[in-house]
Amino acid sequence: MPGALEMSESLIGRSVNRHHFPEKLTGDAKYSADLIMPGMLHAAILRSPHPHANILSIDTSKAEKLAGVKAVITPFNIPSGRLAVDLFILDTRVRFVGDEVAAVAAVDPDIARKAIDLLDVRYEILPFILDPDEALSKDAIKIHENGNLAIPEPINLERGDIEKGLIEADEIFEDSYYIPAHSAAALEPRAALAYWDNGHLTIWKSTRGVHVERISLSNALKIPTENIRIVGPFLGGGFGNKDETRLGAISAVLAQKADRPVRLEYSREEEFVAGRTRHASYIDLKIGFKLDGTITAIHGVATLNSGAYQASTPQMSRRTGQCMLYLYSCPNVKYESYPAYTNCPTAGSYRALGAPQGHFALETLMDRVAEYLGIDPVEFRKKNHVKIEGQPGRRTSPDDQIIDSQPVEGGVPFSSNELGQCLVKGAEAFDWVNRRKSNGSNDESKKYGSGVAIMIYRGGPGYPTGAEVRVNKSGEITVICGLMDVGEGMTTVLSQMCAEVLGVEYADVSTLFGDTESTPDAPITSGSTATFSAGTAVIRASTIIKDSLLALAGTALESEISDLVLENGYISVKTDPDRRMTVKEVASLMTNDYISSISTVDPGSTEYIVNSFGAHFVNVEVDTYTGNVNILKYVAAHDSGVIINPQLSLNQVEGGISQMLGLALSEELVTDRNTGVTLNGSYLEHKCPTILDYPEIQVIFADSVDPVGPMGAKALGEVPSVGVGAAVANAVYDAIGIRFNSLPISPDKIIRALYT
Amino acid sequence: MSTFRYYEPESVAEVVSALKDNVNSSVIGGGSDLLSEIKNGTTKPNVLLGLSRIDDLKRITATDTEVRIGSMVTINAVSSDPVIKRDYGALSEASAGLATPQIRNVGTLGGNLNQRPRCWYYRNPLIDCLKKGGTKCYALGGHTKYLCVTEGERCYIVHPSDTAVALSLFSAEIEIASAGDIRRIPIGSFFVSPSENILRETILGPDEFVTAVYLPSHAPESRHMSKYIKARERQSGDFALVSVGISLKVSSGTIQACNICFGGIAPTPYRSIQMEKYLVNRSVENLDVSYAAGLAISDPKPFPDNEYKVTLATNLVKKALSDLICDL
Repeated sequence: MPGALEMSESLIGRSVNRHHFPEKLTGDAKYSADLIMPGMLHAAILRSPHPHANILSIDTSKAEKLAGVKAVITPFNIPSGRLAVDLFILDTRVRFVGDEVAAVAAVDPDIARKAIDLLDVRYEILPFILDPDEALSKDAIKIHENGNLAIPEPINLERGDIEKGLIEADEIFEDSYYIPAHSAAALEPRAALAYWDNGHLTIWKSTRGVHVERISLSNALKIPTENIRIVGPFLGGGFGNKDETRLGAISAVLAQKADRPVRLEYSREEEFVAGRTRHASYIDLKIGFKLDGTITAIHGVATLNSGAYQASTPQMSRRTGQCMLYLYSCPNVKYESYPAYTNCPTAGSYRALGAPQGHFALETLMDRVAEYLGIDPVEFRKKNHVKIEGQPGRRTSPDDQIIDSQPVEGGVPFSSNELGQCLVKGAEAFDWVNRRKSNGSNDESKKYGSGVAIMIYRGGPGYPTGAEVRVNKSGEITVICGLMDVGEGMTTVLSQMCAEVLGVEYADVSTLFGDTESTPDAPITSGSTATFSAGTAVIRASTIIKDSLLALAGTALESEISDLVLENGYISVKTDPDRRMTVKEVASLMTNDYISSISTVDPGSTEYIVNSFGAHFVNVEVDTYTGNVNILKYVAAHDSGVIINPQLSLNQVEGGISQMLGLALSEELVTDRNTGVTLNGSYLEHKCPTILDYPEIQVIFADSVDPVGPMGAKALGEVPSVGVGAAVANAVYDAIGIRFNSLPISPDKIIRALYT
Repeated sequence: MSTFRYYEPESVAEVVSALKDNVNSSVIGGGSDLLSEIKNGTTKPNVLLGLSRIDDLKRITATDTEVRIGSMVTINAVSSDPVIKRDYGALSEASAGLATPQIRNVGTLGGNLNQRPRCWYYRNPLIDCLKKGGTKCYALGGHTKYLCVTEGERCYIVHPSDTAVALSLFSAEIEIASAGDIRRIPIGSFFVSPSENILRETILGPDEFVTAVYLPSHAPESRHMSKYIKARERQSGDFALVSVGISLKVSSGTIQACNICFGGIAPTPYRSIQMEKYLVNRSVENLDVSYAAGLAISDPKPFPDNEYKVTLATNLVKKALSDLICDL
């Protein structure tokens, strides 16, 4: 996309190099596992070989006697503290194969692992459940004390009257879908380094949110937050997936007990099994429609496998249904969700949470509806996708309340909605109308087809977020924010925004992120909110700093502030541009060492829904001999408002699609039905595609300026990943006439479907 | 990861005596498989003997009668060798499509033949299966997608080697060193099925190792054409779901000789004798390729999750045979 990378006058829309580019390229950048402290110990974790058991006792004596072992912790010898509603630092119940039982710190990793083998654990083996339906049956053994529903109440959301909508329908299509668990498989396994000094704890840790981690640890360890400092070094792949485990707490307790710094680093196998997976999801979906192509009812029911702990299940169960409630204009919609604890590895937050699952079901079934009606799938979506005016119905939330990014209510317009433009531009770039002519082959074993899917996702408003902008006497500008750059390039984008407001060069702005000691309170980098929420805060703080600089300059230039303009690094008098000073010169006039502004925003709008959109077009070649699906062409058109940094945005779209092509075609984390053991926790067997397997992806950004978003921007981090499975499945159907209701669409499934 | 001593003997004799002197020792080639086995605890050798100082094992040499490939020749070197490319095309193709470039650069032919099965149950440190001396096969009633569809008995592995399938087409012989002895055996006798020995996949004894592979040379007029096709889930690097190698000698439009071998089907490279018999002496013109392909596996006994392999085997052989005939 060379066009998108051209330089513009403004810093907005310019592909400046991402922060710390050289360090990352040369290997100088320090990640959590690269950090070393004098006297540092190495930790290892004993993990449960049983899917469900009570720990009756742990004899640590042999392990403690091993030379070099400095600390052994078990659920019986540490204070019991809660990291989350259902997660203790260590627990006397283990709930999946790989669950943490005990941990050791020793002078080197080999000794730590040897010590682990010397721990003598007595288990009381309990019956185990891997299937969420079975877990929710009445007589199932309780995995947690309150039962197996992984949220307090099932989710049950309705707009309009679903029964009425189904009665009004000329036809009702329904089907069941399954999306398996898979792993984000980030290149960097989780790692933490914990260190105590005089009752104060510091942890360097791979994380998405230092402040949230601090609160969780403060609760678990029962020490005040001000005695804890969490630092997030560079993160080697976030994908929404780096938190929610016992990693930080175990390293902290070991370090306390040993009275030495302790590093805990997951192995690749631990990362797959004891990291957090995408939720395996069963979705039953019903669509009622009229023969004129109007949709009268959409009803989705999701049964979700939360695995052993809750983690992000509340948010995930909700997000799975958002497309069913909102992607298509429809007066009567209903979404129910029943997430269940099971003895599978814990499912947690992974890029776009349940949205890929929901979109797979919805966009596959909608394709069938379009086909039945004899309407082109793109035209069908153009007619029926939700428009800028939002959904029919009346607003039910109070007028002064910020509109949720995942609304149920109707009667609220979008701040911007260029889904129509995505469909038009995407179809044009793909040459959709001529798609049947585009493939020719004499090889009768090859079949070709094209598919489309549209998508809707949260547009950016998230939790209250703080950011500080600081200018010192030397004119050095720093953006300070408590969020983490999880690899997406947020620090780069926020620097661009700050520099734009202050009229300076991008290179003039540095950043300070991910350290509870020096940054204002912030949520985790999640839900595609960073650019939007932190961006809004940065712009606000930058604007206040700009006013302060203008005030300083006003005195020096003997001018009214309103007569001054700040651009291209100069503050000058509008009517007499020769009377000017550089920002550095102005800064030197300040009386204190620096001026600073902290702004905390509750982002969003009381009038509009802020959502991001996209439309994906895929052309596939299906080898009917081998069952392989080859992606020949992929066009992704997105409405994410104003694109602040085209190159980083391109990376987000390509990355999201590539990652989900794994789920669409090859990836699945398999738990053995007879033993509960994870069978394929490795890069080799989990079948993550490599860069050589990815197709070239053409990315188009819609012309869109969001009136709510910072500088017109909306979210982009997750939306590219949500429609991939459906677009591929629809293309495969177009090629071979078979609908796949489960992912991945692997060769064995294709062959089975074609030949039996 | 268990610890081990590592050293590099300078001669084959030294290796053999070291294997004999050290109980629980093993030779190591590129280590891409052995080290992962040690890492996950499937095997715990006390001593590893690196072979990289024995130059004789790292050479490909050709005489009038045979080609000798040392066991330490890398997969990459096998795939790019011009003589192998010309005379044993299927072996070159099998090597070129094996794993990833990184693995082909370190992986050796000897290591590839001696790698252990990929069965998920066998590889998992928490599962004590029959192949590891345990009491049951966990694949029964479990995950069977990648397992064998024929000749499984108590254990349902497939042999993972691509080169073994290709070598089976060319009357290859495996050279084995043991105390005071070097012997050569046909590749068909090198691999053993679970019914013969459930703990091992080859006839190698504890004090033995593979030093070379021999391929008989053919005069140009009696050279076979050959082809190797591999179906896999991840194109950039993966073991075969099913693979097939075919070598064919055609003269005056009639198939004079033919060897067909499958990977991914059985616990050892699977020769399709019934199909070979059908094809020999038939005219390539109007050959009923579909019928022939239907003979691929004589008595398949798939699990519900791997029935697709029977179809896949048929499809691959159809394609390989058509391609070969087309190239005539």
